[in-house]
Amino acid sequence: MSDFRAIRAKIAALESGTRAQAGVLPFGDASLDDRLPGGGLPLGRWHEIVGVGLEAETSAAPAAFAALMARPLARRGEAVWVLRRDDLWAPGLAGLGFPPERLIQVCARDEAETLMVMEDALTTVGVSAVFGEVEDVDLTAGRRLQLACEKRGGTGFVIRRRPFGGARHREAAGSVAATRWCVKPAPSEPTTGDFGLGAPRYHVELQRCRGGRTGAWILEADQAYSWEATDVAHPLRLVAALGDRELAPAQSAQARAA
Amino acid sequence: MRRLAAVNRAAAKLGLYAGQKATDATALVPGLATEEADPQADAEALIALIDWCVRFSPAVAADAPGGLFLDITGVAHLWGDEAGMMADFRERLLTSGLPFRMSIADTPGAAWALAHFGLDQAIAPPGEQAELLKALPPEALRLPPEAAAQIGRLGLRRLEQIIALPRAPLARRFGAATLERLDQALGRSAEALRFRRPPTPWLARLALVEPISTPEDMARVTQDVTAKLCARLEAGSHGARRFEIAFHRVDGKALPLTLGLSLAGRDARRIARLFQPKLETVDPGFGIECVTLAAYDVEATSGRQGRIDADLAVTIEDGLAPLIDRLVNRLGPERVWRDAAVESHVPELSVGRAPVLGGAPSEAMPWDREVPRPVRLFRRPEPIEDVTALLPDDPPLQFRWRGRLHRVRRAEGPERVGEEWWKRGIDEISVAHVRDYYRVEDAEGSRFWLFRAGLYGGSDVPPKWWMHGLFG
Repeated sequence: MSDFRAIRAKIAALESGTRAQAGVLPFGDASLDDRLPGGGLPLGRWHEIVGVGLEAETSAAPAAFAALMARPLARRGEAVWVLRRDDLWAPGLAGLGFPPERLIQVCARDEAETLMVMEDALTTVGVSAVFGEVEDVDLTAGRRLQLACEKRGGTGFVIRRRPFGGARHREAAGSVAATRWCVKPAPSEPTTGDFGLGAPRYHVELQRCRGGRTGAWILEADQAYSWEATDVAHPLRLVAALGDRELAPAQSAQARAA
Repeated sequence: MRRLAAVNRAAAKLGLYAGQKATDATALVPGLATEEADPQADAEALIALIDWCVRFSPAVAADAPGGLFLDITGVAHLWGDEAGMMADFRERLLTSGLPFRMSIADTPGAAWALAHFGLDQAIAPPGEQAELLKALPPEALRLPPEAAAQIGRLGLRRLEQIIALPRAPLARRFGAATLERLDQALGRSAEALRFRRPPTPWLARLALVEPISTPEDMARVTQDVTAKLCARLEAGSHGARRFEIAFHRVDGKALPLTLGLSLAGRDARRIARLFQPKLETVDPGFGIECVTLAAYDVEATSGRQGRIDADLAVTIEDGLAPLIDRLVNRLGPERVWRDAAVESHVPELSVGRAPVLGGAPSEAMPWDREVPRPVRLFRRPEPIEDVTALLPDDPPLQFRWRGRLHRVRRAEGPERVGEEWWKRGIDEISVAHVRDYYRVEDAEGSRFWLFRAGLYGGSDVPPKWWMHGLFG
C-alpha cells in the first residue's frame, strides 16, 4: 500500500509540473480523505458543485455545502461570491459557521462576466476562496479558471445553477475541474429526545475526482447554528458512507482524462 | 405684467433697458424681436460655461445670472503672463459667439467692477486697482439697491468720492454692506467665492499641440496625465480616493469621467488602467486639445514599504483594494458589497449592504447564530398552495410550491415576527402583517423556511402561506 502511495505521489508531482503545490484541505475523516488526491480537497484548483432536481435551480444545498467545505479557507483570507441572482443570505451562512465579515458578494450581469470576475478574484492576493454561480463552464473557460487558480494558489468553487424556469442546459463534454460533487439535502436526524429538525445533512456524491476515487457519503454540518460553529476544525462530519459502486466509472474517467 | 429681462447691445443703444415694461419697449421700438426668458436654461448654460472654463483654472465660481469668477492665481504663467492668458481666453470665447467683457484684478470685487463698468479687458497691475476704480460709478461696488439709491441721491457719482469719505460715517450712512464691498474691492478684506467644484490643489493639466481623437492616443494621454499627478501625490506622501479626468474638446465641451478608489491610492498605472474601459464612452468629436485630471478626497498615506517575502506580508493595498476597484468601476458600486448586520427582527431588513473596504465599522449587533436562518432568501416571498395544517398554530403537513407537493416530515416553529409597527401609521397596523415562521423538512430532506401571514380567526381574510427561503 505504501509503495502504491509513493508511486501515486510521484505521478502527482510529475503532473503538477512547475505549478506550486497549494496543499490540501482534509475533511477530517479517513473514508473521505483517502479518496481524494493528497488526502484532502486539493487547493489551488477549482471544484464543481452541482445540485439535482429543484436544487439545480435554487441551489441552496450546493451553496451551503460549498460554504461548509470552504469554511477553513475563509479564515485564511477573503471569500468572494459571484452571483447572478442576489438571493444569497449572509445570516444563513453565518449560522453554518462561515464568517460573514469575510464574504464579499458580487452580482454579475451574465455568465461571461461571472467567470471573468471569478478569474480576477482568483488571481488576487488575499482572496482564498472564490465561489461562482454559473450555468455551465465549457472547456476553455475551465482552463482559464484553472490557470487563474494556479497563479496564486486560490481555490475556486463553481456552483452550477440553472436560471429559474430555464431549460436544461446541454452538459459540457469534459471538465477540467479537480473534483465534481453532486449535493442533495438529506433528511436530518435530531438527537434523541429533541424535537424539530436536526443538524443539516447532505447526501454528497463525489462524481469525478482527478487523481482520486469517487464515492458517496452522508455528511452533517457539525455544530451548525451555534456560536461554536466557527471553532470546529472540520465543518463536515461523516454520518454514513454509501456504497462503493463508482469504482469502475472512476477508472474510465481517469482514462479519459489521460 | 411682462417686463424685459435682458437686452442686447443694439437694444440698449435704442434706449431699452432691463426691467422695462414690454409694452413700453414695443411702443418705443416697433417690431422689437423678443424671446421668452428662460432662467433655468440660462443657469444651465452658465454651468456649462463654468465647466468649460476649468481648462483655464480649476477654481471657477458662478456670478449669477450672467457672470463668472475665475481664480487664476498661479496659473497665468502657463500662458506666459496674464495678458497672454486673457488673449487666449478671449479668442476661445469669441469662437463661441457669446458677447462678453472681462478684466483681471487682484480682488473679485475690483475685477467685477472693471468688467462691468470699466474698460473691457482691463488688467489691473498688482496693488493698483484703486487707481482704475476711481473713475467708476458707485454701482460698480455690487451694492444693495437701497444703498446705491442713497449714494445716488447724495450726488456721489464716482467711486473716488466714496473712497475719500471717512469710514465711520460711510458705514453709518450707507450700511455696513457698502463698506464691506468697498473693502473687498480694494483688497482690504478677503472675499470668499463659492467655487463650482471644490478647489483642489491636486490638478494636472496636459495641453496638446495637436488635437487627438484616436483611442490609443487618448489612452496614452490618460497615462501621461495620471503619471503627472501621481508623481506629485507620491512626492507629498498623499493618496486620493476620487479622480476626475476631463477631456476638453476643440468645440468647447468638457467630457468628464470619474473614478472612485476604495482606498486612497496613487499608483499611476493602476489608475490609468481603471480609466481605460471608460474611455470608449468619450466622444472625441473633432478632437481633444486639453486634458485635466483632478484628485479629490486626498489624504495622507504612508509610503510604500518594500516587502521581504511576498507571501507573508499581504497587505490590502496590494491585493484586495485593486480588485475591488476594478469590480466597482466595471460593474458599478451597487453590485459589489458585503452583507452587514442591521438591527431589525424582520428578516429581510436585518441585512444591509456595506462597502467592501473603507466602510465605517458597524455598530449593530451581529446576527444571532443560534437561530437557524436560510442560506437563500427570496427577495419576494413566493406563495405556496394546498397547505394543510392540523391546528391553527401547527406547521403545515403538506404544501405545494412551484408545482410540486411536499410532505413535511419534521418541523420547527412557530417563530413569530411582528411588523415594525412604530414605523407606520396607526391605521396601517394589522394582524395580517404578523408572520409565523416555520422551518420544515420534507420527506427528501429539503429544508424550507415558510411563514403564515396573519392569524386564524382574527380578521375576515384567511391567512396566507408564503415560502421565504431555503436552508439547503
